[in-house]
Amino acid sequence: MLRNITADLYQIGECVDGEHGHEAVRVYVLMNNGRPILIDCGSHLHRAEVMKELENLLTGNTPEYIFLTHSELPHSGNLHKIVSKWPDIKVIVSNIMLAYIEIAPVLPLDQIIPVTAGTTLELAGRTLQFVDALLKDQPGSQWIYDPTTGTLFTGDGFGYYHPAGACDVFSDEREDGIPAEYFREFHRTAFRFLRWVIPQRLNDDLDKAFQQLDVKVVAPSHGNAIRGDIAIHLERLKETITNVCMDYRNGGN
Amino acid sequence: MAVKIFGDGIKRVAVRPITPDIYWITHCLGNHAKNYYANYFASLPNPEDYAGNRIVDYPFSAFLIVDEKSLLIDTGAPTQRENTLKALDYVLGDKSLDYIWISHIELPHAGNAGSIKRQYPKAELVTVKGGDHYELHSLEDALQVSPGDVIELGKHTIEIVDPLFVDHGLSQWAYERTTGFFFPADWGHNLHEPARNQCFQFVDEMMEETGYSSELFIDDVKVNAWYQFPWLKWTDPDEIAGAVDKLFKQYDIKIFAPSHGNIIRKDVDQYVELLKEGMRQAAKMPH
Repeated sequence: MLRNITADLYQIGECVDGEHGHEAVRVYVLMNNGRPILIDCGSHLHRAEVMKELENLLTGNTPEYIFLTHSELPHSGNLHKIVSKWPDIKVIVSNIMLAYIEIAPVLPLDQIIPVTAGTTLELAGRTLQFVDALLKDQPGSQWIYDPTTGTLFTGDGFGYYHPAGACDVFSDEREDGIPAEYFREFHRTAFRFLRWVIPQRLNDDLDKAFQQLDVKVVAPSHGNAIRGDIAIHLERLKETITNVCMDYRNGGN
Repeated sequence: MAVKIFGDGIKRVAVRPITPDIYWITHCLGNHAKNYYANYFASLPNPEDYAGNRIVDYPFSAFLIVDEKSLLIDTGAPTQRENTLKALDYVLGDKSLDYIWISHIELPHAGNAGSIKRQYPKAELVTVKGGDHYELHSLEDALQVSPGDVIELGKHTIEIVDPLFVDHGLSQWAYERTTGFFFPADWGHNLHEPARNQCFQFVDEMMEETGYSSELFIDDVKVNAWYQFPWLKWTDPDEIAGAVDKLFKQYDIKIFAPSHGNIIRKDVDQYVELLKEGMRQAAKMPH
């Protein structure tokens, strides 16, 4: 489902259906003046669709980088196919990740570039900031901020389940954006460490992160882009975190 | 059976029995570790503060229980696929593999599930209940189990354990009731030094023969927890330590076998306070 989010930023990828609703598995593409950058590469379940959408979108341009928010299969499941098609592509990962064993051995190790959270790099002529992922699905999770579009790519953070029929709907195309209850089940299952977390501390760190960045779009890997009303959605995420932490304290699992 | 080693470098896999029926199948880098872990402590806040600051190595382990039915705990990573399959064949010979139990779906833990299933097509994949969209992880056909569920193997019984400290949402731990073998996945790691020939040693051997110590153990648990569980910074250190206490009261643990550490097979009780202290200190570390 190829859609333009803003400026030169596009989202592709499909959904899967399940007990709690649909789960999107997104690949984001910064077209970047003919030097495309991918964020995650989607699920193996959607390989044919992802590759077709990429080819349609890129129109012959060769992607230079993939940033993996983390290495879990839904985020790296098409790496082999993408590397086969564009063998010079470089893969950017968190420096916490041990690439030789946490990334499938489908490309030379010297094409995998570890990046430390807190650094800013110019990649393919575009300035990108690498951000400590506050909601980590794996230790090697990292967020990335694109100052050009004001987009924060948040991996599993800000993920949500959506109902059938809303598979390609952006937050601003819904009457009241993404409701907190959409975030809740996703964050409960994705971040089970919340059982121990004192929510105010995590929420304070989320506030600090968003104060430091001029976020106009939040792009979760498991949801559609959240365009606008970022402050409102941040409050809903914090409310979600508080509720999930309290659920665990009250004996939920 | 002594240590049997297959391959070298990033593909190296070793097999060593822990009990007559439980085998440690592990990858570590040995002499290559210095190329990968030279900055392991240097990346920490205040690196000069760690007694454990040394050139370390980091195992990635699976465990095989051989009984009337056999069960493999985790699968190793695709980089070591060929040698992991050789190691399984070396131990099992003509015996079947009945279960492939996945603690969580990260590549070093589950990345060879498909290949092992092809080598042992009757083996049943087992994973944690409570998630959704298992097809995204190629686990749509897996048997799903919850804490308290058991898998009977014959003399051995695997009980699924609530994973207290997780680095991935869909995780589980395991306890074997007959031997007291406990598998805490990504928690409770220790590190070893190839330069001291500590690869594939048990921790009691490291303590008695090759210079390991309680002080180093606390630092290793702390440092690994800092890397593995960055969420500890938002927790109450005493509550975390209390959870460790409760765990050891609930289970009579005689063998402590983490995914990424050498095996504690003697005097496990002596390590409980060290594990608690390591976790308490990790929760107080700056991030």
